[in-house]
Amino acid sequence: MTSVIETHNVIKTYRNSTALDGVNLSLEPGKIYGLLGRNGAGKTTLMSMLTAQGFQTSGNVRVFGESPYENDRVLSRICFIRESQKYPDAFTPKHAFRSAALFFSNWDQAFADRLVDDFQLPLKRSIKKLSRGQLSAVGVIIGLASRAELTFFDEPYLGLDAVARQLFYDRLVEDYALHPRTIVLSSHLIDEVANLLEHVIVIDKGRIIMNDDAESIRGSAFTVVGSAAVVGSFLSGREILHTDNFASLASVTALGVLTPAEKREAAELGLELAPVSLQQLVIRRTLAASTGDLNAVANHSLEVSQ
Amino acid sequence: MNRIVNVMRMQLINRWTFIGIPAVILVASFGLSWLIWSLVPYEGAKYSGGSQAIMWYFLALGIQSLTMTFPFSQGLSISRKAFFLGTLGLFSIIAVVTTALYYVLSLIEVATDGWGVNGRFFALEWIAEGSGLPMMVFYFTVMMVLFLIGFWAATIYKRWQTTGLLVTGIGAALIVVGLVFYITRAELWGQVGQFLGSQSQLSVAGWLAVVGVALAGGSYLTLRRAVP
Amino acid sequence: MIDDSRPIFLQIAEEIENEIVEGTLAEEAQVPSTNEFAAFHRINPATAAKGVNRLVDEGILYKQRGIGMFVATGARAALLQRRRDRFFDQYVRPLAVEARKLGISPHELAEMVRSSESVTGGTP
Repeated sequence: MTSVIETHNVIKTYRNSTALDGVNLSLEPGKIYGLLGRNGAGKTTLMSMLTAQGFQTSGNVRVFGESPYENDRVLSRICFIRESQKYPDAFTPKHAFRSAALFFSNWDQAFADRLVDDFQLPLKRSIKKLSRGQLSAVGVIIGLASRAELTFFDEPYLGLDAVARQLFYDRLVEDYALHPRTIVLSSHLIDEVANLLEHVIVIDKGRIIMNDDAESIRGSAFTVVGSAAVVGSFLSGREILHTDNFASLASVTALGVLTPAEKREAAELGLELAPVSLQQLVIRRTLAASTGDLNAVANHSLEVSQ
Repeated sequence: MNRIVNVMRMQLINRWTFIGIPAVILVASFGLSWLIWSLVPYEGAKYSGGSQAIMWYFLALGIQSLTMTFPFSQGLSISRKAFFLGTLGLFSIIAVVTTALYYVLSLIEVATDGWGVNGRFFALEWIAEGSGLPMMVFYFTVMMVLFLIGFWAATIYKRWQTTGLLVTGIGAALIVVGLVFYITRAELWGQVGQFLGSQSQLSVAGWLAVVGVALAGGSYLTLRRAVP
Repeated sequence: MIDDSRPIFLQIAEEIENEIVEGTLAEEAQVPSTNEFAAFHRINPATAAKGVNRLVDEGILYKQRGIGMFVATGARAALLQRRRDRFFDQYVRPLAVEARKLGISPHELAEMVRSSESVTGGTP
């Protein structure tokens, strides 16, 4: 399968900070990717480089096999509405959608109209006067209705209430099922999007710290609760992500999958097992990476992918 | 090519920006001038600089089409080149139409003896000398240069923020001051005056065209690496 | 519903298996499409497809081109057999472990199982 996006050692430095620190990625067509990470981790910067809206300091980006910079062939297949997207001052949402219709060849006006109804977006109000949520809705509608072969959603939910967010996720899954395409969904609300993702990329301080199939990550770690000594011996030899101690009890999160025999053993030892959500796992990994133990994290990634 | 045409169409989606507001400005400044002429009890030709108003709006338009529309165009995956050519192409058309309109109105102005009140709005003394062509070329180049000044200034701001504008502004001021200093020092003011006095609309337009092409080139090179 | 303990595709496969075992999905009945599963559970369609395809590979479901997916004849019996095989490990062993911890003798445990029969009203 030829990849949609291929990056080689992409580095982006600003005067006194490093936004991207050697990013190597390969994205396959027809999948929903989650680009996860904390605020300021480099998600938007990375997407800017991938769409040639921004410029990397060094490294190489290929989209659909070509450099995207000033390349109409490539750009016409991409849609990237950023979280802080600017619109012409005198524009209304209606103007924005009419503009989008001019440039996205797969634009579906009927779908856009339906989304406008869903989000109850005032079409003729000046964009300057929209609420944060309504502004996000404009971006979400352009992203969805463009049906671009490669669509980026940059924290698309800001200011949207729970109902509107659910609506977005529902419409995304429905429309993606009917019109498969490559979607990169950047988010720090991991629990909300976890089940939509086929592949997960976690970025922290400009580095990729996780890059795995979502299904292989799910169940790739577990938490054991019980008497500290028993938990310790049960988990000996395993990679520990996190330990919480409370009196003589310990709650330890470890990487790996337990065999049925090990689960039986845990039960017989009086230990409790709990699943670890993708969000918890990402938080643990990010914190582990922050403490500087990057080698250990790299090993983890390897283990998870096996 | 198709995408360049679509950039023009996008810029015209809100017709107010490129057509409505200039029309309103033109009508308002003309109406105001006419009112003043009719109130002033002076018998000779009465001049108004009101026809400039629309041109200063074009400067603002140059700024606006970059600061607001360029980031939006990036969101629609429009290349910088297509955005530049489409925006400049559309403005050229607007400038041609405005120029033609000015010419027709200047003919009416002359035919109606200054709109019945001996006013001069379009057929200004030096600009309207001779046939219509020099006047049209002059108006067109002035409009283009003003638009491009706004466009480039905004592009510089986009790329280097306040520092960029400051450096460019101070640089331009230094060149002017240096030139003035040199002319004064070399006692060349007489010759300069002679030179300026001998200029026709066409030769001034020629100089402006050179400036315009330089501005356009500079704008494009600056925009090539601009980030929304 | 979907939880975090295991891959979602396994959970989808199990959900369909349960419906077949319980009889909600009769043999030769049509199964919802993967897109319907995806929309209902708000999960990635590829993941839903993986779960369904697993059952196709096992012969529990079969595909009819252009029409959809159906429950194979004999699927229920096959699933019941598989579940019986796993019953001891999944339920009886943990039950015995917990009983021993609580000091419940095997005899008492058997008695409890018998009495629970009358509470739940026989086999489901």
